[in-house]
Amino acid sequence: MTNSDVISAFIDHEPFDAQELADALGDPAGRALLLDLVALRSLAQPEEAAPATVVPAIPPRRPLHLAVAAVAVLVALVGGYQWGERSVATETSTPPAPARVVSGGAAWVETNAGGGR
Amino acid sequence: MPGDVEGLFAEHHQGLFRYLYRALGHRETARDLTQDVFLRASRARVPDGSGIELQAWLFRIARNLVIDHYRRRNRSPEVAAAAGTPSRPASQETGTAVREALADLADLDRDVFLMREVAGLDYDQIAAACDLTAAAVRSRLHRTRIELRGRLTAPIAHRRAAPMCLAARRTQGHES
Repeated sequence: MTNSDVISAFIDHEPFDAQELADALGDPAGRALLLDLVALRSLAQPEEAAPATVVPAIPPRRPLHLAVAAVAVLVALVGGYQWGERSVATETSTPPAPARVVSGGAAWVETNAGGGR
Repeated sequence: MPGDVEGLFAEHHQGLFRYLYRALGHRETARDLTQDVFLRASRARVPDGSGIELQAWLFRIARNLVIDHYRRRNRSPEVAAAAGTPSRPASQETGTAVREALADLADLDRDVFLMREVAGLDYDQIAAACDLTAAAVRSRLHRTRIELRGRLTAPIAHRRAAPMCLAARRTQGHES
């Protein structure tokens, strides 16, 4: 590790060898580098902290989905029930008109159930 | 899950805002993108892992948003100071010099530097957020520091005359 490496590791809370750091700081250039890097860190800090009004605008997706699903089920049930009611009412009140009339003709033979005569 | 994301937000929104603010150079845009990070996180499957890994995941999202932002606008971080920015003990010239120096860095170098110095991520987290190895992070970080040290000689000398703190992450900031 060079003096720069060990000083960087020290200020970054990364593992370093204490003796190497002592040697690096024994050099005036190493001490100057350490102070400059700490000063640079201080300069890099932004002027402002995060505004207190910053809040996550996370949409409440799950409750909305549940509500939409519940409404869809309700509409399906009510709609299905009413459609069924209308169909039953139509079937019982007005029988369908015959489309054609079938006549037996001369060879028509009535048979009993089961096919016996 | 939204509850998980809200917890992540509470824990990391300061660091994300600080990174985005320095990366973008504009307070309101940084605020908007901080919210976008959590909107995206809330729509994605939160990966399994420790808080450290989740923090790196959030910064990866943030970095992608910064890249998308510049791709749309085809420009670098804004250098001009935001109107109404409260003055600091250091001179306004110092602030401008720092913003200019950061804006002139390569995008990846700037991200690595800011994630370490402003957001306090460790090498492994930065590597995960930026698709690098930890060794590459160390190398880029060192190179960037040396470059900035050369560009900011006067502001650094000025700052050395004032009390300093070793912490990479400022825990208290003045609210605007």
